[in-house]
Amino acid sequence: MLITQLKPKEDLLSFISGEKVFILQCYGCAEVFLPKEEINLFLEELNNSGTLIVKNIISDYLCNYEYTKLRINLWAEELKKSEKIVIFSCGIGVQVVSTILNQVSSISHQSPVTSHQIYPGCDTLYLNGFQGLTPFNFDCAQCGQCFLNYTGGICPLTSCAKSLLNGPCGGAKNGKCEVAGPAGIVMDCGWEKIYKKLETIGRLDILKEVIKLRDYSKR
Amino acid sequence: MIDYSKFVLKPKEEIILQLKDVDKIFLIGCNKCFKEFKQFGEEEKECVELIKMLRENGKKVLGCADIDFLCNRIITEKIIGKRKELNQADCILVNSCGIGVQTIAELTEGTIPSKPVFTAADSIPQGGQHCLSLYDEEGIHFRCAACGQCFLGLTAGICPIVNCAKELVNGPCGGAKNGKCEIASAIGQVAGATGKDKDCAWEKIYQRLNLLSSEQRVASSETVIRDYTKPSLKTKNVITDLVREKRFEGFYGGVYPLEKKEFTSQKAIKIIPEHKQVVIPLLQHTGCPAEPLVKSGDKVFVGHKIGQSKGFISANIHSSISGKVIAVEPRSHPVCPDKILSVIIENDGKNQLSPEIKSKPALENLSPEEIREIVHEAGIVGLGGAMFPTQVKLCPPKDKKIDTFILNGAECEPYLTADERVMIEKTEDIIFGMKALMKVLNVGKGYIAIEENKPEAIAKLRAKSEENIEVVVVKTKYPQGAERMLIKRILQREVPLGGLPLDVGVVVNNVSTAVAVAEAIKTGLPLIKRVITVTGEKIKDPQNLEVKIGTSFKDLIDYCGGVIDGEMEQGTCLLKMGGPMMGIVQKDFNVPVIKGTTGILVTSPSDIEFTLLRACIKCGRCLDVCPMELNPSNLGLYAEKENWEKMHSEGVLNCIECGSCNYICPSKRSLVEVFKLAKKEICAKLVKNPQSSE
Amino acid sequence: MELKELFAKGKFVVTSEVGPPKGWQIEKTLEEAEILRGKVDAINVTDNQSSVMRFGALATCHFLKDRGFEPVFQITCRDRNRLALQSDILNAAAFGIENLLLLTGDHPLLGDHKDAKPVFDLDSVSLIHTVKKLEDGSDLAGNKLEGEPPKFCLGAVVSPCAEPLEPQLFKMEKKIKAGAEFFQTQAVYEVDKFVKFMEKVKNFGIPIMAGIVILKSVGMAKYMNENVAGVFVPDNLIEELKKDKEKTKSGQTGIEIAARLIKELKPYCQGIHLMPLGWNDKVPAILSQAGLI
Repeated sequence: MLITQLKPKEDLLSFISGEKVFILQCYGCAEVFLPKEEINLFLEELNNSGTLIVKNIISDYLCNYEYTKLRINLWAEELKKSEKIVIFSCGIGVQVVSTILNQVSSISHQSPVTSHQIYPGCDTLYLNGFQGLTPFNFDCAQCGQCFLNYTGGICPLTSCAKSLLNGPCGGAKNGKCEVAGPAGIVMDCGWEKIYKKLETIGRLDILKEVIKLRDYSKR
Repeated sequence: MIDYSKFVLKPKEEIILQLKDVDKIFLIGCNKCFKEFKQFGEEEKECVELIKMLRENGKKVLGCADIDFLCNRIITEKIIGKRKELNQADCILVNSCGIGVQTIAELTEGTIPSKPVFTAADSIPQGGQHCLSLYDEEGIHFRCAACGQCFLGLTAGICPIVNCAKELVNGPCGGAKNGKCEIASAIGQVAGATGKDKDCAWEKIYQRLNLLSSEQRVASSETVIRDYTKPSLKTKNVITDLVREKRFEGFYGGVYPLEKKEFTSQKAIKIIPEHKQVVIPLLQHTGCPAEPLVKSGDKVFVGHKIGQSKGFISANIHSSISGKVIAVEPRSHPVCPDKILSVIIENDGKNQLSPEIKSKPALENLSPEEIREIVHEAGIVGLGGAMFPTQVKLCPPKDKKIDTFILNGAECEPYLTADERVMIEKTEDIIFGMKALMKVLNVGKGYIAIEENKPEAIAKLRAKSEENIEVVVVKTKYPQGAERMLIKRILQREVPLGGLPLDVGVVVNNVSTAVAVAEAIKTGLPLIKRVITVTGEKIKDPQNLEVKIGTSFKDLIDYCGGVIDGEMEQGTCLLKMGGPMMGIVQKDFNVPVIKGTTGILVTSPSDIEFTLLRACIKCGRCLDVCPMELNPSNLGLYAEKENWEKMHSEGVLNCIECGSCNYICPSKRSLVEVFKLAKKEICAKLVKNPQSSE
Repeated sequence: MELKELFAKGKFVVTSEVGPPKGWQIEKTLEEAEILRGKVDAINVTDNQSSVMRFGALATCHFLKDRGFEPVFQITCRDRNRLALQSDILNAAAFGIENLLLLTGDHPLLGDHKDAKPVFDLDSVSLIHTVKKLEDGSDLAGNKLEGEPPKFCLGAVVSPCAEPLEPQLFKMEKKIKAGAEFFQTQAVYEVDKFVKFMEKVKNFGIPIMAGIVILKSVGMAKYMNENVAGVFVPDNLIEELKKDKEKTKSGQTGIEIAARLIKELKPYCQGIHLMPLGWNDKVPAILSQAGLI
């Protein structure tokens, strides 16, 4: 599951200021997270700064290749009138639109949508958990060699800032990880949690088992 | 369907080694977000094999719980909590992705018996894939690594992080041969890799950049350095918490559709001039149709009873204008698919009140029975849309003790603002009607629930509310206005599945219903008019209107300036009675306003049609939003096979048809429509053969 | 001496390379270097070549420098993040190493530790940019360095016979923009292609050293054709290797082909870089046949 953040405004403006812009917003996962208000404020600013917003489309699930292909045909007229496309979605939406426009333009040269420049309006951030369901603070690193057997069901890869497999680094203070994030966001030391958990279930012996190594070829 | 499994079984040796000290095992398998739908009654293949393997190795499998979306902690907790075998087990073995295992491990700390948790599977790395992103085109994966500093603007929309083995951001490494990545031979060994995985991403990026103008290429020539602080812990945690809080605020699930109430929320209610003709259906309520009391040629007055309620669950029907009955015949109805017997009256423009209409004594002097009779006589039904006869709600069975009354002003449907305006403009009537209803039910405590997006209504009602009436501000979240959700939010009481609010001592009524009750007492007028919102992107001048029952939709749309760009017809306009979520699509633009019409919504038809033909991708979003905690995904798959029995046992009768699953479905499957159908089929069968009820 | 000074003087620069051993006793590698003494301008030291773990390139460079050779320190982005890369570059400065060759590096899946974490925190372009920043007195994060900033001659690589060539060209341009001062190429066997490449990069005005890999056998030629990016050994060369098996086995054919290639390429480039892959003893013969010594 993914969340997005508006790209720095200066970056965006440096690309599109003063141009004819086609705006595409994806509200499909907006139920998860899309900075709608920030985007609308930015668009307002953009409009006031002499950039022509040819069309501002609010769509959903741009990641769905089939729908997006259908819809791009519906927008053909406006696309023809614009020079740049800014897409407010996760990285997947941008890739899908870009690929479709590229296909259309390589098939037919009369096509209205040749050589459009596409800019992502958002940066996509990784969100805990898989897609679909509401995120929890559980996370899976999809390492391909689940270590949860050794760690009382607490993932050392995602609950330890260094993804250590064989025990704590010694950097934790009062149970908190040494990686104290800005604004007081501090994560608990994953290995302390693992130790306590194994202690409660009487399986501290697991910790003495073989040294564990990541196999990155599985990633 | 492709096998989109998120995890694979670990090697047998590894599993057995882990379980060397345990004997009795309880197995929990995740039905997998991406696993092909299994036929019911048929066990998940992997779990069957796993159980066999465990038994061959001398282990006892005490039980196996097969759960959809283990990661959904709330539902998982409920299901596992019921499994008693778990108490006897030495350990829990989980066959799922890492999140499922962690969820179970966390549950063992509190709600389920504390047992060691082992995992039987390894997760398959999918590289930040998302929703429908399993598509790939020309060897380009539509995946997102969620790196926090999107480079796609520099790379013509092909992600170098996902598609380049080395995640290079400045250009190719030079290791590609014949367009294939240098790791081509090695990657062949990785499970699930296809030939396309081996293509050099940067060659593709270059080809595409070449099609584009030079400007983008210039931008691409800057040295790019990745910033690994971007996907910061802070942002990630803050947003995760925010999303969770939002999702579970008040009740499980729900969605946040665009409100679009700004079209009309500031517009005062307008009383519209009467039209030449009204069509008044004799069925404007849940239950039996009323029996006609007039015939063609009869003269009728405003408030004249023209239909007599028949049976306990029914309601009287009154004329909304004065004039002449020109026909009593079946006409199109906004709710029923079949034509419904209706009284068609031609307006004489005199607006003559029926001589029977007399204002009633002051509230203090009315007994509960008298009020109930007034409500019954006035043909008042639930004006929130359900149209359940109000007097029935006011006659709770003797064994049910009602202690709380809730007036529903949530109006959670997007676009609609009729209730909001009523609350602002008819505040006194609301309080009056509410007091009357509370008197009938003899309850001491009443709440008025309003979504936080209506500050003016909140302030007005707060100013007018009395000691035993409390205005409760609820979060703006759909379907907050559903009875069950309000009761849970305000009283923390859970209406049992298949039960009614009165099972937990509560009666819920809509704010407009209270106004109708007030009117019936104060002026003696029966329910012949109501406030509706005529709105939508296609309406020229959206309005809140007080209209007479029986006025045609088309006349009202015309009154609001007609539709923008084009004709009022199917294909260019989508007409719904009600809001976008639960509203009923209308084919005939001439259907009349009935008692349950909350609004008329005209929008452009959706560009992608909802259909059950499109495959369920098992993303699980519908499970996440269903406020009734059902599994719409599975229900939809059963519906495809017309397996009504299974749908019945999976609880489809509890569906409140709120439309949240349709709204969220990335495959745009027409779920609610088939659930309605299934409910109908099941009810028909139950009537025929009541024993089959479970 | 920095290679760029030699280029500036108009010298046709000749370099060769040694690969450190899998073990810590490095005498044999140093002996290989001795064969090259006085015959080449500098000796490249490879960095865990082909993703196979070996003795470190930096220490090898240090030993070579001590013995009076001019080493070219090859650095890849595969094994170190930006901190380690920068500190190794500072180490190199302290050891008096003047020439760096900055590369992305092969993927670990190709080597003998397939399960290793591929780092690629930086890539070749950003690594060049990083060294340039160090030379300007600050680290990549912008913190000021204490004392004198280091000074290097920055080399980069390009694959002149790659198909398609354009992605190579645009990345080469980025490398130059980032601060590359000379280029060393992938092995060249097709002179026409190389000439065309040189035409295209003429405007860049940067010294380019053509890469030469000694052909050891028919099998090696075929293997490279199938597996090595941007390398194609034409049929006539394979025929030549096939003709006299004994001669090929003794390395004579390889020497002749290499020398001939150098002669043909010399008019178009500013130097050559030999990659003998263990056949350092053949280098003097090649250079003498090519008329370079």
